[in-house]
Amino acid sequence: MIMDLTATRYRDLILDSKGGFGTPNPQPYGGSYIPEVLLPGLQEIAAAFDHFKYDAGFLADFSDTLRTFSGRPTAFTPLPRLTEAIGGAQIFLKNEGLNHTGAHKITHCIGQILLAQRLGKQRIIAETGAGQHGYATAAVCARFGLDCTVYMGKKDYERQRPNVYWMELLGTKVVAVEEGSQTLNDAVIAAFKDWVANPDSYYLLGSAVGPHPYPAMNTFFQKIVGEEIRQQCEETTGRLPDYCVACVGGGSNAMGMFFDFLDEETVQLIGVEAGGRGTKPGEHAAKVKRGKKGIFEGYHSYFLQDEDGNIAATHSVSAGLDYCGVSPILAFLADEGRVQFETASDEAALAAVKKLAQLEGIIPALESAHAFAYAFELAAELPKDKIVVVNASGRGEKDLFITMRHFQEDSLIAYAQHLLQK
Amino acid sequence: MAHLVLGYPSLAESLHTAEAYINAGVEILEVQIPFSHPTADGPVITLACQEAVAQGISMQDCIEAIRALRARFPMQEIMVMSYVNRIYAYGFQRFVTEMKAEGVQHLIVPDLPVDLSSALGSADATVKFVPVLAANTSDARLEKLLNMGFDFFYLMSDFKITGSGFSLHPRLQAIVAKIKSRPMPPRIGIGFGISTPAQARLVLEEADVAIIGSALIQAQKAGKLEEYLESLQDVFQA
Ligand SMILES: Cc1ncc(COP(=O)(O)O)c(C=O)c1O
Repeated sequence: MIMDLTATRYRDLILDSKGGFGTPNPQPYGGSYIPEVLLPGLQEIAAAFDHFKYDAGFLADFSDTLRTFSGRPTAFTPLPRLTEAIGGAQIFLKNEGLNHTGAHKITHCIGQILLAQRLGKQRIIAETGAGQHGYATAAVCARFGLDCTVYMGKKDYERQRPNVYWMELLGTKVVAVEEGSQTLNDAVIAAFKDWVANPDSYYLLGSAVGPHPYPAMNTFFQKIVGEEIRQQCEETTGRLPDYCVACVGGGSNAMGMFFDFLDEETVQLIGVEAGGRGTKPGEHAAKVKRGKKGIFEGYHSYFLQDEDGNIAATHSVSAGLDYCGVSPILAFLADEGRVQFETASDEAALAAVKKLAQLEGIIPALESAHAFAYAFELAAELPKDKIVVVNASGRGEKDLFITMRHFQEDSLIAYAQHLLQK
Repeated sequence: MAHLVLGYPSLAESLHTAEAYINAGVEILEVQIPFSHPTADGPVITLACQEAVAQGISMQDCIEAIRALRARFPMQEIMVMSYVNRIYAYGFQRFVTEMKAEGVQHLIVPDLPVDLSSALGSADATVKFVPVLAANTSDARLEKLLNMGFDFFYLMSDFKITGSGFSLHPRLQAIVAKIKSRPMPPRIGIGFGISTPAQARLVLEEADVAIIGSALIQAQKAGKLEEYLESLQDVFQA
């Protein structure tokens, strides 16, 4: 579990880590803190991942499915009008929202479903926050003919209703979790409980969190994002970005964007957490900025919690960032100073949605809008020759009823009444 | 072995419940430190934990409660269960030292693989961790744990969370036999979903200890704890 810190290459360290990130204090980040009953299942997945990550046939299958099913590569888009309006660094966007089902999540779903298929699994379990991971999981399960159950906190079930509908249309069973704060955290726990009762199922976890091998495995599948940015940015500008900015919920889109640049000293990596509506406990979801170390849901990392180690409530306008923990890999990279962490408020994220929509014709997911909100501030302070790339991890259609309530509440009410009259 | 959540429905009442269990003759008292998100428990224990947490029960409160029980019942065997994050927040070594001082010999930490207990700084051999195993534990894994010197094995009756119906997985017998084939065999407890005296008796045909949790909390909720404990009398005598 202990990493060789004499090596300087973060990428090798992370992929060869066996699940422990950083030096023991008293243990490295990550690990596998799970009830013994889940050990065989996790070991089976870890062994399969270790094998197939070097298997040419598997990797060819993975990239082929990304291309033919999800539409990769996704666009790399210059944002000239926004750049001019802000008046600082040149801003570019990596449009992960162009993926099938509307977000980066489908990438690790494709990777994992191919793995589950090779393991002969018949049934898939997943959790979802914004519904994007659940929607993507439902799509790959339908595509590959596997049975699928998705757990979703009741609050998320209600605020991300369109995605519930899509999942059900795809033949997935969606369970609204009534326990706790009824958000992503409670969905993760419900999914784990299902797995305890059904250890033969495959748990398709949706971010770079959880016990080994999920953090490293989802990072491995998502790293295609950074690899494409490297190539596209060089083609477009003749060089690498100076700044890469991504929102951080659990950390899968951020790790996907950052991974390929971890060993490029000139590229600054910035993760943006949900600042919510304030800095008090329960008002935000900024775990690296305001959490402390803990062990929960299978891994050692930063968590929002009270003095006694009870997990705290979180808040974000975006369901996908409304979660108490963060990738153990990002915790390690934060301590190392390799990834810088910032926050963006609910209000700033909403304003960023509008700005990007009206200046560039692109509506980002509320999650991704946090990255834009911070990137706008950053770019304004930088000279014009600097390049800032923002990961648009998802598109904003799923947020229809949330953003509409903020921007056009009267129209939303009128539409709801109209639907009811029919 | 009878389980309760400290601080549910209040700290004082949980101490009364403990007394009721002990007076009824339970062999082992299992006290759970409440945690906001008990990831391996069913709805009954989860709710009890959340009610206790809402009252702000601190680790210090729990330790003092255990101290009070120890003072009244010097000979009672007590096991303490906690999720790992509460111990991590308090300090592993500090927690284990406190447990030793109160004569607690066994800790059940469902989300801490027992192999890691010493790595986290709790090397004290007098306070032993209890492996919680299910029917999918491999022979090699069981062998490894048996060689690590654990003296109590907690077996899950079947693939389920706490408090969700009773069944005994067919492979448990083989696991029990393997444990019992040791020269100085560790004790074996079986739990998860036991609610009736008949189920407890069935479990005692295999194991040394039958573990009851959610059913006790439910009986207490219904105001029928005395009656329920009474119904278990012949199990306690066994
Ligand atoms: C579009 C989008 N971006 C970001 C996230 C946050 O997750 P992560 O930090 O794992 O990328 C989500 C999660 O649901 C999402 O749907």
